[in-house]
Amino acid sequence: MFKLAIKNIFYYKGRSITTFLLTFFSATLFIIFVSFMHGSHKTMLHNALKVYTGTIQIYQKDYRDEGGYDYLIFDNQKVFNSLEKIKGIKSYTSRVETFGIASSKNNSSAIMLTGVDFKKEAKISELKNALKTGKYNTKSNCLYMGEDLAKKLNISLDHELSFVGSAIDYSFAADIFKLCGTFKTGMYEFDNSSAFLNREYFDGLFYSQNASSYIVINVNDLDKNNYIASQISKSIGKDLKVYTWQDLMKSMVELVKVDSIFGYISMALFFMVIFFVILIYGFINISSRVKEFGVLKSIGLRDIDIDKILIYEILILTLSAIVIAICLGGSIAYYFEINPIVIEGISDMYKDYGIISDTVPTDFDIFTIFWNVSLIFSLNILSLIYPIYYVRTFTPVEAMRHV
Amino acid sequence: MKKLLIILTLALTLSANEASQIIKKLDNNMRGKDVYMKISMSIKSLRHERTMKMQTWAKGSKKSFIKVLYPPKDKGITFLSLNNEMWNYIPKIERTIKIPPSMMLQNWMGSDISNDDMVKQSSLVDDYNPKIIKKDAKLVTIELDAKDDAAVVWGKIVSVINTTHYTNVKDTFYDEDGNAVRVFTYAKVKKFGKYYLPTIWTIKPLNKKNNLTTMTIEDVVYDKGISDKYFRKSALKRFSR
Repeated sequence: MFKLAIKNIFYYKGRSITTFLLTFFSATLFIIFVSFMHGSHKTMLHNALKVYTGTIQIYQKDYRDEGGYDYLIFDNQKVFNSLEKIKGIKSYTSRVETFGIASSKNNSSAIMLTGVDFKKEAKISELKNALKTGKYNTKSNCLYMGEDLAKKLNISLDHELSFVGSAIDYSFAADIFKLCGTFKTGMYEFDNSSAFLNREYFDGLFYSQNASSYIVINVNDLDKNNYIASQISKSIGKDLKVYTWQDLMKSMVELVKVDSIFGYISMALFFMVIFFVILIYGFINISSRVKEFGVLKSIGLRDIDIDKILIYEILILTLSAIVIAICLGGSIAYYFEINPIVIEGISDMYKDYGIISDTVPTDFDIFTIFWNVSLIFSLNILSLIYPIYYVRTFTPVEAMRHV
Repeated sequence: MKKLLIILTLALTLSANEASQIIKKLDNNMRGKDVYMKISMSIKSLRHERTMKMQTWAKGSKKSFIKVLYPPKDKGITFLSLNNEMWNYIPKIERTIKIPPSMMLQNWMGSDISNDDMVKQSSLVDDYNPKIIKKDAKLVTIELDAKDDAAVVWGKIVSVINTTHYTNVKDTFYDEDGNAVRVFTYAKVKKFGKYYLPTIWTIKPLNKKNNLTTMTIEDVVYDKGISDKYFRKSALKRFSR
């Protein structure tokens, strides 16, 4: 049967070439499309994590629900000691956030002032690389502020501004700061409302020694993030809670899911067209071969043997097209993962979604390629069901008389 | 049917008028023509407990001035509310800061009362429509719904008022979605001249089980003829000392 199928493939060139090419192009396109879609989503998430969020954060249990100074972590060092013992952690640091009013000569604005260790922060976030003017590692009462916030307050480098808020004992905390550096991460809300102060000075003003709003962690391997988070969870006290980036960035994770769904829906429509084209071509071809199947049946071939011939034909065509598609599509996906496409200005357009780079890489993943081509393969096999059923409806005599 | 409608309309109008009268008398007890108070405030939260003392001067609902006396670290901090605007002077940095309207709902110095409560910008008489919902002897429960055009932070206040001397017993504050947010309870009513005022106010935020703020009014002087000097921006620094 197999030899007969090979012979048929070469004999019915038109149908074979059409099926081969459609399968090849759709599989290649699917591999490339999915790799670009996954690549851009992965980049979006990685960028957002890299900018400020980190991959894991530790909070006092009710901080994220209740907020306020009552729910701070009051013993940073104890948590740091636990983190030192866990493998796979790349870097960590603590942050103390407070909210208050910043006032320049003419303007006031509610801001988030965060006390950070600038050296450790440089290892965990993109704040240092986001420097626009002045200095990053500022000392004493120097502020490192979002560029958009500085514009809103109408101040530039070396200008003074006052800040009024609460210390962590809820007493009044106020000081005059000097603007020493500005940053732009591309995340508008963040750049429009955030300022950073070196931890030593912050602790003196807000009485936050050895306390923090949360501890932020980066891991060496993002794939092991959840495992490391569970290890941390076991090693720290019950009054602390560990959040992974999936918990922290739920809206972005949802956005990526929705975008993927729409991507797959558009691809599904495309595959429907391909499926019916292959089905119609296959059906026309098989209809024209009914007489041939009649002769084969009359010389003793059973229906199952005819089915085998048709299945072998589609299997050979599909598998050969898919193998070449894997080689071509996979190579393209791999190439663009290493050498991403650069689209000038894309980061400006999508900055609100955490895009901070103009590059659009692919995501080369063998498993994804495998399920992509498996889907194409399944569709091609499905396209044979009706033609097989159609051929089976003929008796040998009817088939031989078929015109 | 017509008669019934007329009686119903008349009853509603009379009820609204009565509610307005009660609220006006209550507001008059709280504000007088002008009022000076010395207040002690105890603030408790999950991990902290602190006491503050302050003096306040107020004239009507548009002018008020506050000076913090205790703790020593915060002594001399002053607040001025004038025609729906609020300023704050901090002696440590010698700066006057305008508090944006968006921050009027923020907690005042770590307590469970807001900036708006401290300066009493919003007026029960001008900003809310009162309606009697329950009468129990001398205790009248009035629902105050925010007027559509009023710049107030609460959607609704349900106030229990003792009509013996027109003083508050309990206020429940609701947000715009109708959720109860906090409860004020009042105790120890005292007479100051011709006015009656509860001297212990307890504030319980309903979303923070461990928080409690208690205000004790230690001294009150009504209708003293407070000078307008307190209600100028220059007063922030001048009376800070």
